[in-house]
Amino acid sequence: MAFVMDWVYGALSFLGLYQKSAKILFLGLDNAGKTTLLHMLKDDRMAIHQPTIHPTMEELNIGNIKFRTFDLGGHTQARRVWQDYFTTVDAVVFLVDASAAWRFEESATELQSLLGSDELADVPFLILGNKVDIPEAVSDEELRFQLGLSGLTTGQDGGDLGGVRPIEVFMCSVKMRQGYGAGFNWLANYLS
Amino acid sequence: MAADEAAWSVTDVEAVDGIRFAWNVWPSSKVEATRMVVDHSCMYTPLKETGCPVLEYEPVVCRSGECRGILNPFCQIDTRNKRWVCPFCFGRNAFPQHYESISETSLPAELFPSYTTIEYTLRKTAPVPPIFLLVVDTAIHPEEIQSLKESLILSLSLLPENSLVGLITFGKHVAVHELGFGECAKSHIFRGDRDVSPNDVGVALSILAPAAPGKAGSAGASHRQRQILPGGPGKFLLPLSECDLTLTSILEELEKDPWPVPSGKRAIRAGGVALSVAASLLEVCYPATGARIMSFIGGPPTIGPGKVLSDDLEETIRAHHDLEKGSVPHFKPAVAFYEALASRLVANGHVLDMFACSGNQTGVLEVISAVNKTGGLLVLADSFTTSMFRESFKRCFARDEAGDLKMAFSATLEVQTTREFKVAGAIGPLSSLGKKSSCVAETSIGVGETSAWRLNGLIPQTSVALYFEVVNSGAPIPAGQQGLLQLTTIYRHASGVYRLRVTTVARSWADPKAEPGLIIDGFDQEAATVIMARKAVFKAEAEGSFDVIRWLDRMLIRLVAKFGDYQADSPSSLTLPPGFAMYPQFMFHLRRSQFLQVFNSSPDETAFYRHTLYRENVLNSLIMIQPSLVAYGFDAEPTPVLLDAASILPDRILLLDTFFFVLIFAGETIAAWKKEGYQELPEYESFKTLLQTPRDDALLILKDRWPVPRYIECDQYSSPARILYSKVDPSVTHNNMGEYGQEGGGQVILTDDVSLRVFMDHLASLAVSSQ
Repeated sequence: MAFVMDWVYGALSFLGLYQKSAKILFLGLDNAGKTTLLHMLKDDRMAIHQPTIHPTMEELNIGNIKFRTFDLGGHTQARRVWQDYFTTVDAVVFLVDASAAWRFEESATELQSLLGSDELADVPFLILGNKVDIPEAVSDEELRFQLGLSGLTTGQDGGDLGGVRPIEVFMCSVKMRQGYGAGFNWLANYLS
Repeated sequence: MAADEAAWSVTDVEAVDGIRFAWNVWPSSKVEATRMVVDHSCMYTPLKETGCPVLEYEPVVCRSGECRGILNPFCQIDTRNKRWVCPFCFGRNAFPQHYESISETSLPAELFPSYTTIEYTLRKTAPVPPIFLLVVDTAIHPEEIQSLKESLILSLSLLPENSLVGLITFGKHVAVHELGFGECAKSHIFRGDRDVSPNDVGVALSILAPAAPGKAGSAGASHRQRQILPGGPGKFLLPLSECDLTLTSILEELEKDPWPVPSGKRAIRAGGVALSVAASLLEVCYPATGARIMSFIGGPPTIGPGKVLSDDLEETIRAHHDLEKGSVPHFKPAVAFYEALASRLVANGHVLDMFACSGNQTGVLEVISAVNKTGGLLVLADSFTTSMFRESFKRCFARDEAGDLKMAFSATLEVQTTREFKVAGAIGPLSSLGKKSSCVAETSIGVGETSAWRLNGLIPQTSVALYFEVVNSGAPIPAGQQGLLQLTTIYRHASGVYRLRVTTVARSWADPKAEPGLIIDGFDQEAATVIMARKAVFKAEAEGSFDVIRWLDRMLIRLVAKFGDYQADSPSSLTLPPGFAMYPQFMFHLRRSQFLQVFNSSPDETAFYRHTLYRENVLNSLIMIQPSLVAYGFDAEPTPVLLDAASILPDRILLLDTFFFVLIFAGETIAAWKKEGYQELPEYESFKTLLQTPRDDALLILKDRWPVPRYIECDQYSSPARILYSKVDPSVTHNNMGEYGQEGGGQVILTDDVSLRVFMDHLASLAVSSQ
């Protein structure tokens, strides 16, 4: 069991989530990299998975952290499903494919609607701009602008915000194993 | 004979007999058989549309002892004394009276050498027409109800006029609708929070006489001893021709369950009790007849026995890792409840079909045994509005040329073997009949310890995997001698008559040590793959997927070590006989398949995939294990290509068939031209044709497939392209290539999974190892 314990410690301490307890939703359009990130957290391996029949994808538990992914956009049936999970969520990780400029508008619409929803009113939002390894990926500033977040983010230092909902953008590449660690460490500041 | 065998094609045999053996020449001793790694086994499709003759009389059956061997072309016959010898027990039988005129030149059809598969019409007919009891979840979104009821109303026009139909709806409560009451809609309500016995259901619905008060013992009498009241069943299960209008109007008025769902809660849904009441209604009214419960489920049961989780949204539906940890409180009681339901259905010859259509899981995993053991049909889709549901449901009622439903009811499958081998078990949509004949082997594989099984429901492609054990341990069987296998299926044809189909096949025995070539040439790698896949999935359900993958690897290494040609410790010297060449590749894809890899599948999806594998024939199963890929380009006819990342090229269109998905994938260049609209220009007519050809081919697949697969068109680098990327052999990845691969080298697959080549290298070095 020592190996398992070490792995739990290793994975969570890397993300800054060790000794935290939380339910975290991974949201974003299809192909943003949610399942890939989840699989990376689980096995530290890259893998490609076919889309599922149920938009509810695999859940992952590491220590006291529960991760769960959902595809946003597209059909309304899916929306009915993930709304069921909002009541108990402690944080949202919103993934965007930073290299797919033609889908920014769709992402922005979904993100704004999430930020505006009552159930998620106080929930911290970590926005991950994924796939920065691809040359077409846009910059941090450009992504903030495209998602309508300019001036709304609360700072990467993770300090006390005095009751303001934490929102921040981090650029990352799941494939290169870069960037999301910093994002989760930021998020950990706002989880108990 | 040997020349004939060489000329055999396994698919020709399959077309005639619906059977495919893993080994077409059988190993002649017990010890040698166990060293063959792949069991002596076959896939059999009892209702395969073979066009075999249907005789209008009953078969001649061996009456010697317990043997029930059926007269067949391999029997020794004595036309002078009007006798025949049963090849299974060597009992001598006299021909019946009406075979008096039999002679060398005048033989009945069942003795013609080419009629190894033949059907008889039995005198027995079904007492009632087929019964369809609809069980409808109404605790679903109004849009879903709307679409579902359209499908249900449409289905009434597809059912035979004389079939009996009934309707149960449920939300928080369970309502059994009275269809024989024309004036207004009337239904009987059962509470959803506790189970009711068949007896109580019968009494509550005034089908059974209530217990006479004060009469000792009668209160405890089961429904079997109770008297059925005249007209009782006829209130709830009526011929369609009589209740069509009433039923249509009830369905038209179906509404969402009015019970309110407070925030933070999910709908209260009495799914377990609804199925139990349905089973009871059939059991009380029509025990031991062909009936289907067709259930339409939009969410998990949250109340009463069989509940999958509570109605509190804090509790989320179980995922694979919750099950692995054993941390799902409702799981075991729910499974036990549905297992008990399964036993009741099995014993009564009733079938449970399930159309589970929801964006989230509905608890298919818990209920799956009742579907599998009764030969029920399962469709999993994310909504009742999808064509996956609508078309699949419609096609359940497919008819044959004579206008009868293709589905069959109340079947039994029985195995007879000659003395050298016995049957170890079966894997498929079946349950044991517990028949301990002399053909039953000591070892058990799948559902074993019997030589007969029930298949309450079956469709033309329903296929059973049968596993055998060679028991000959004495003197070797003389070369050239044949073993015989007889498979007898008695089933209720949709027309109401019972039929008996008998398939009798003979194969030669050979000593694998003396004549390895004969054994090797008789290997059917496709059938062997599917048979191993079913065994692996059966093991995975018992032991967990991880161990099964290691077991599959060990089996493969042993098979290659046994039948490959190599010098010890020299992996590069390894060659496989041609008939084995594809087998390692099939195993590579099986390991990666959704049958054994559960990450990113919900437990319900895994149950659905495995259920489908348990039902389908060799060809369809093989597509599920290793999807087919066909390339379309300007320069050549459509050609099958390797399921490999290197097959993905910019100027190609690919058609991928995974059985569950049919995907048309346009390479980058094709996608760009399409975007430019070249197909609209008259001078690029050939481009238009190129785009259309794969669509036409995809339509052909969609037309025949059940359940109807998802159909998707996509371009390279788009999101749905993952369906293709997740299936191909990752020969080109970000680990072995630069960011954009190499020139003409195919699509870079972002995965750390091993490629077929790496897998084969490891396999070769382990197989040839002298350690």
